[in-house]
Amino acid sequence: MIVLRMLLYSIITLVILVLVILLGQKGAWYFAWVLGTVMMVLIAAAGAALLDTQEESGRKQ
Amino acid sequence: MHDLDAVLALSRWQFAVTALYHFLFVPLTLGMTFLLAAMETVYVTTGRQIYRDMAQFWGKLFGINFALGVATGLTMEFQFGTNWSQYSSFVGDVFGAPLAIEGLMAFFLESTFVGLMFFGWDRMSRGKHLLVTYMVALGSNLSALWILIGNGFMQSPHGAVFDPATMRMELTSFSNLIFNHDAQAKFVHTSIAGYVTAAVFVAGISGWYMLHRRHMELAKRSFRMAVLFGVFASVGVISLGDALGFIDGTREPAKLVAMEAMWHTEQPPVAFNLIAFPSQKQQRNLYALRIPGLLTPLVTRTMDTVIPGADEVEKQAMERMRNGIPAVLALKTLSADPSDSGALAEFRKHQKDMGYALLLERYAPDLAAATPHDFRKAARDVIPDVAIVFWSFRVMVVAGFALLFYLGVATVCSLNNRVQDRRWLLKIAPWFIPVPYLACEAGWLVAEMGRQPWTVYGLLPTWLSVSTQSVGSMVFSLTGFVLIYSVFIVVEMYLMLKFIRRGPDNHVAAPLAH
Repeated sequence: MIVLRMLLYSIITLVILVLVILLGQKGAWYFAWVLGTVMMVLIAAAGAALLDTQEESGRKQ
Repeated sequence: MHDLDAVLALSRWQFAVTALYHFLFVPLTLGMTFLLAAMETVYVTTGRQIYRDMAQFWGKLFGINFALGVATGLTMEFQFGTNWSQYSSFVGDVFGAPLAIEGLMAFFLESTFVGLMFFGWDRMSRGKHLLVTYMVALGSNLSALWILIGNGFMQSPHGAVFDPATMRMELTSFSNLIFNHDAQAKFVHTSIAGYVTAAVFVAGISGWYMLHRRHMELAKRSFRMAVLFGVFASVGVISLGDALGFIDGTREPAKLVAMEAMWHTEQPPVAFNLIAFPSQKQQRNLYALRIPGLLTPLVTRTMDTVIPGADEVEKQAMERMRNGIPAVLALKTLSADPSDSGALAEFRKHQKDMGYALLLERYAPDLAAATPHDFRKAARDVIPDVAIVFWSFRVMVVAGFALLFYLGVATVCSLNNRVQDRRWLLKIAPWFIPVPYLACEAGWLVAEMGRQPWTVYGLLPTWLSVSTQSVGSMVFSLTGFVLIYSVFIVVEMYLMLKFIRRGPDNHVAAPLAH
């Protein structure tokens, strides 16, 4: 199981590296879209988690 | 009006109307899919039921929009064949590949996974369903990517050459087609504009719920996620808009002339026309409110680069028409005798200006006998409709900054966890929903009206791209589209309002699943 997981993460890393090399050279805006979209999704998700924490601490007080 | 002119005008109207209708549905699809993915990501990582409720409720509204988006998009692809057959014949070898891949992305990747997304909640594990939602988001955005690669070629043709033996453009570099700077900037600008649309849509409806004290837990979380997603997206969309303006300014000087209502070439740094009332006939602004020295650094990133005005663009176009005439004449010789090496050499020598001579051919069918008057008329055509492009551009920019301001304020209120008490914000939130739609539609008017009189910039004039339809069939089909699409809009509005009023099903307040 650990080996499989290791293999999966290695493949993901490889794909990301290839993307960085290819898109970084010729497709800087495409690369910016990939990074920006991931960042926006994660920030939105983090915002929701933060709200849960705020509500939780509000209830405790 | 001559029949050819009438068919041309009606074909343009038909494409514009169907594209603008279609684009009422597209931005929400592009953005909502990633927002749904974000909601579901929180559900999978925290196990809180409310995030599943959110993904399902907003997913239902997305589904209504998605179905109508697909229905309105189908006819656009057929129009390339029915109304724009000369264009399709000219660039089919280039345009066909991205269009086919778009079909695969939209109808195989996106539509297959969208079914799994709607009906697979209780049939798949959380992780697998999350993967499906991400695939829907990728599918919808990648299908937009391929359309915009095709559009990027029309704005700034790269990766293909005209072959006089086959009389059409042939692909020379797929990589240059995909990595065309115009396509890149336009894709990111359009996709992120969709994110802003979805964010404002979700925030507006969530605000309305909070104002009426309904579904508070769901609405607060949806609002928080939407405004955070949207505020970063609106910064991105403005940055990319600036990049796209820079690219267009360099590659499509006539579009820049129209966007900025610049009739005359001036010494840099040139003033920026904040407000102007352009007169196309008189080639001047009847009134202009100007900010000194602002335009040059905005569009050239320098203080001393000369920006050509309409006078200079028309002068250069006339020179290119003169240089392009031998290419078109040689092409006619080659069509009769493809082995004529003299004609081929002559064509190669003047090939780069062939499109401009084709522009002149509208007024001088016998190019060898073209008069100075014909040249002047054709040169005037090179400048797009300035008033429409100028004002559409300003509507888009003002809407973009208004959205950034609104989303910024909404983000601060939400992060303080006081948004439910800011009734003024909750009241204005639903009124902001139409603003990104207005910006998106205005943006398309700038892009497409600004490219005129070309379908493929500098290569193929619009007047030569159209099919030989009858006026009657064009009037009939245009009327039909307007009626059917108007019904679609009414159906969409009715269903949206019905499901929004009803609200999320079986919603309970934020229990922990574990």
